[in-house]
Amino acid sequence: MSERVYNIEEAPNIDVSGDRYIMLQIGPSHPGSGHMRIKVWLDGDIVVKVDPDIGFVHRTSEWLSERREFIKAIPIVERIMLPDTIHANLSYITTLERLLGLEAPPRAQYLRTLAAEINRITSHLYGIGIFGIFLGSSTVYMWAFGDREPFIDLMEMLTGARITYSYIIPGGVRWDMPKGFKERAEKVLEYMEKRLKDYDDIWVKNPVVQSRCVNVGVIDKTNAIRLGVVGPNLRASGVYYDTRKHDPYAAYQNVDFEVPTFKNGDAYDRLLIRVEEIKQSMKIIKQVLKDMPEGKIIDEGTYKQLNPVMKKVYDERARVMFPAFYNHMRPQPGEATGRVEAGRGEIFFYLRSDGGKYPYRFRWVTPSFRNLPFFTHVAVGYRLADLPAIYGSVDYFPPEADR
Amino acid sequence: MSESSAKERKLRNPIVGHIRALAKGFKYLVEPNRMTLDYPAETMKLPPNYRGFFTVDDKKCIGCSMCEMICPPQAITMIPRVQVQSGQTVPEGAGQGKKTKRPVVNWGRCIYCYFCFDICPVDAFVPSGVHDLAFYNDKDYRPSYEEYLKPPEEPYKNSKKVVSRPDLKRGVGYEPAP
Repeated sequence: MSERVYNIEEAPNIDVSGDRYIMLQIGPSHPGSGHMRIKVWLDGDIVVKVDPDIGFVHRTSEWLSERREFIKAIPIVERIMLPDTIHANLSYITTLERLLGLEAPPRAQYLRTLAAEINRITSHLYGIGIFGIFLGSSTVYMWAFGDREPFIDLMEMLTGARITYSYIIPGGVRWDMPKGFKERAEKVLEYMEKRLKDYDDIWVKNPVVQSRCVNVGVIDKTNAIRLGVVGPNLRASGVYYDTRKHDPYAAYQNVDFEVPTFKNGDAYDRLLIRVEEIKQSMKIIKQVLKDMPEGKIIDEGTYKQLNPVMKKVYDERARVMFPAFYNHMRPQPGEATGRVEAGRGEIFFYLRSDGGKYPYRFRWVTPSFRNLPFFTHVAVGYRLADLPAIYGSVDYFPPEADR
Repeated sequence: MSESSAKERKLRNPIVGHIRALAKGFKYLVEPNRMTLDYPAETMKLPPNYRGFFTVDDKKCIGCSMCEMICPPQAITMIPRVQVQSGQTVPEGAGQGKKTKRPVVNWGRCIYCYFCFDICPVDAFVPSGVHDLAFYNDKDYRPSYEEYLKPPEEPYKNSKKVVSRPDLKRGVGYEPAP
């Protein structure tokens, strides 16, 4: 276990010019889960400064969305955060609904919660798997990516796609729960509960992992708040903050769940919190499946605009077709914001309409982007060999930060 | 509720930890938890709502261009056609009848969001149930309308068809398709 040599407060002020420090470039070809260059200045093998150089996978999602109809932004935002597409979709639609003055019926809200929690589990398993390969454990990498499969299968059953679901639309969701979904989901949860114990033995409580992660990359509570960290990384530092609790959306006010927090704020806590959140997500899924209310999956106003053929499809196949106004949706002039707790943290959305066909301003801030200041500070004072453990534990996803 | 609820972690004794990790590893060495599919000897039969390749019902389509308008990657092009007496359409100049349009999908651009399915006022699109196609050249991406109408041919026709099922031991199991 390493001790921190440089303090994170003094680190940004260190002058790294001169011969004492050497600069090491990590990346930009895929150092982790995407393209990013990490410039690291070393004093011996102690990290004194980290400068993440982002933008290699910038895809102009805001620019593209401002030049398209409102509905066409759904696939665009999804492609930015691929392990976590439902949350991108949900945050955009929550904001758009506020702009349009629509509200989804209870069943649709529950279905959104269900999809979001399944997606949170796959996102955390993705994070755990990447963390595993960073520490050199290809076992847990294979396990975590394999165990995403039952959940992706569930989503495939619900939405017809494996990753890019495009499931949530203004006023509701596109498909209802198919027959046999509930039984299948219960079996998958039972499997995962059993499987998490195996994870404990082979990875989470493995002494090798403990010795590489405990007291590595510590960010205390004050610094976590000061640096604007979001999501599981913030809660690992002991801050009780979760958008699902503090600004509930979808059906989160109706379900009972805990927000796990840990005290130490090191790499090991950031691993533990993801495991705990998987458990909480499974708890939420169980409740949602049990309490799923009956009723429509699209709001009344949108349903009325469906033509007779579409209404027939809705009755027969529980599939919502789009009324013609989706092609030229023109919200009233105004602005709206929305927040959603995604797998990696809080997504913030801002939409402004000038009454035209396209959004006047389309702005969103993704959790990985907000974890960047954290990233510059967290590795300072540790050894270079600790950097993979720290980078892995942050669960940073470059395409998501670059947007 | 707030800070006081922060959990205290318990670290495992290294000796116990190593033994348990090795024991678990040995268990999975003897009894591997394999959930992969022997593709292409076995292929998946996908659920009916799976979003794969699709075609259009020539008689049902009314040529309203709604699908072209909603298509997010602009993969759909409307081709001018002539609707003859039988309800089928023919290329312009090949018959007498009402002038109309029909959609053609560029598979290189399509993202399978199925927005076109949902905006269609007459529900004219038909899913084909095929999803694993590869194209050998750029031309194949952009079928002509006649080529587009034919449902894509399924690769590996002689493979064993399976469907996935939840499995308490392996996560995902497979059984022969009904």
